[in-house]
Amino acid sequence: MRYAFFVGCTTLARLWGYEASTRRVAEKLGVELVDMPGSSCCGTTYLETLNHLTALTMAARNICIAEEMGLDIITICNGCTEVLTKANKVLKEDPGLRAEVNEVLAETGKRFKGTVKVKHFVRMLKEDIGLDEIKAAVNHLFKGLRVGAHYGCHMLKPSDVMLYDDPEAPTTLDELIDVTGADSVSYPNKLECCTGPIMGIREDVTWAVGLEKVEIVKKYANIMVTACPFCYLTYERCQLMAETSPDVPVVHYPQLLGLALGLEYEKLGLESNKIDASRILDFVEV
Amino acid sequence: MTELTEAKEIRVSQADADFRRHIMKIPGAEKLMLCYQCGTCTADCPVAMRVKEFRPRQIARLAAYGQKDRLLGGDTVWLCAGCYTCYEHCPEQVRISEIVSALRKLALKEGIIHPTYRALMKSIAETGYIYEIDDFQNEMREDEELPPAPDPDMDEVEAIMRKTGFLDLMEGDK
Repeated sequence: MRYAFFVGCTTLARLWGYEASTRRVAEKLGVELVDMPGSSCCGTTYLETLNHLTALTMAARNICIAEEMGLDIITICNGCTEVLTKANKVLKEDPGLRAEVNEVLAETGKRFKGTVKVKHFVRMLKEDIGLDEIKAAVNHLFKGLRVGAHYGCHMLKPSDVMLYDDPEAPTTLDELIDVTGADSVSYPNKLECCTGPIMGIREDVTWAVGLEKVEIVKKYANIMVTACPFCYLTYERCQLMAETSPDVPVVHYPQLLGLALGLEYEKLGLESNKIDASRILDFVEV
Repeated sequence: MTELTEAKEIRVSQADADFRRHIMKIPGAEKLMLCYQCGTCTADCPVAMRVKEFRPRQIARLAAYGQKDRLLGGDTVWLCAGCYTCYEHCPEQVRISEIVSALRKLALKEGIIHPTYRALMKSIAETGYIYEIDDFQNEMREDEELPPAPDPDMDEVEAIMRKTGFLDLMEGDK
């Protein structure tokens, strides 16, 4: 299996552990992630709210790169997932908008054709590899590890665009956690937004929202698992900014899966997580 | 600045009716007038739960009455986290989050943009990324055995920003 790998600004710039663990897990599972030369920021959900055509064309340019490579796109940021999926869907379905976007793209020598799909890495794991195959590859099962999963909004919503899983009762991430032997627990307000996108507008709100969820997760689980750089940063930073010492490690999903696949802690970039996550190793059954 | 929560008489003029029409012309915001003010959006909003000046139901009502100054003054329209909870839960599929987006688009046309948004957009226009990824980041990436970040084709990014009129919009910023 080969895919074009769209990493996204936030992960490229500062969450190397997320990117490293994604690449190592993919390699271990026989998935080739090919970098996208010349690609830029997806356009962001921010830009979507400011100018429709600019946002669509920025996204389309990145999609065109994957089209030229002849590969479907894998994303690891929920924001990129939503932006690229929406643009891809709208431009495939609306010939008028496609013509408008292609007119802008003409100057770049690119042309949106609508030949590829966009998928979040966790969706690819479930749909293209499958839970059974992943389970068969797991050789270091977790035992007794309770995990508070946080999906993040844009993996699933808007649901009429994402058309994946159930936005009110999703199962993908829980199932992918459970195949590692860990127990993905239910907890109150599990699907509430991290509010990371307003971190730069009212960070006090984002930290308060983050801490509220961390406090709940603490009662139900040993660690928190995310699948989006913004959600990750919210739950990590709200604890680092708080007066009390941080005590709920936040782990990127591929880091968890990577350990279960027998990959080394350091190779999964877990040492760069700012809240020490080493307690997770106590739960690995060798 | 007028707080959204401040009690104030609403007077509707032709200018307000025009503003409402402008909102409803923006894709996603067409169903504004289907709102019957049930308040599901505010009840389920993770921001409204903690910020008194952000009330999606009030935004919908003020938008229906075309109250431009009250909507575009202050940080109100910049406080939506875009989580789509209101979009999913609205019994009339009004898509309140898309109405907030429409209001941001109209704000930008008036030269109004939140400084944080302006900084992020400037970075995309100048570097191709929301944060500049320079030698330092690439050295750190190398330490983690990661390849260099893709080098965005800035001629192409700049062409898109210019041709879609975004650079002009940003320059009109107050």
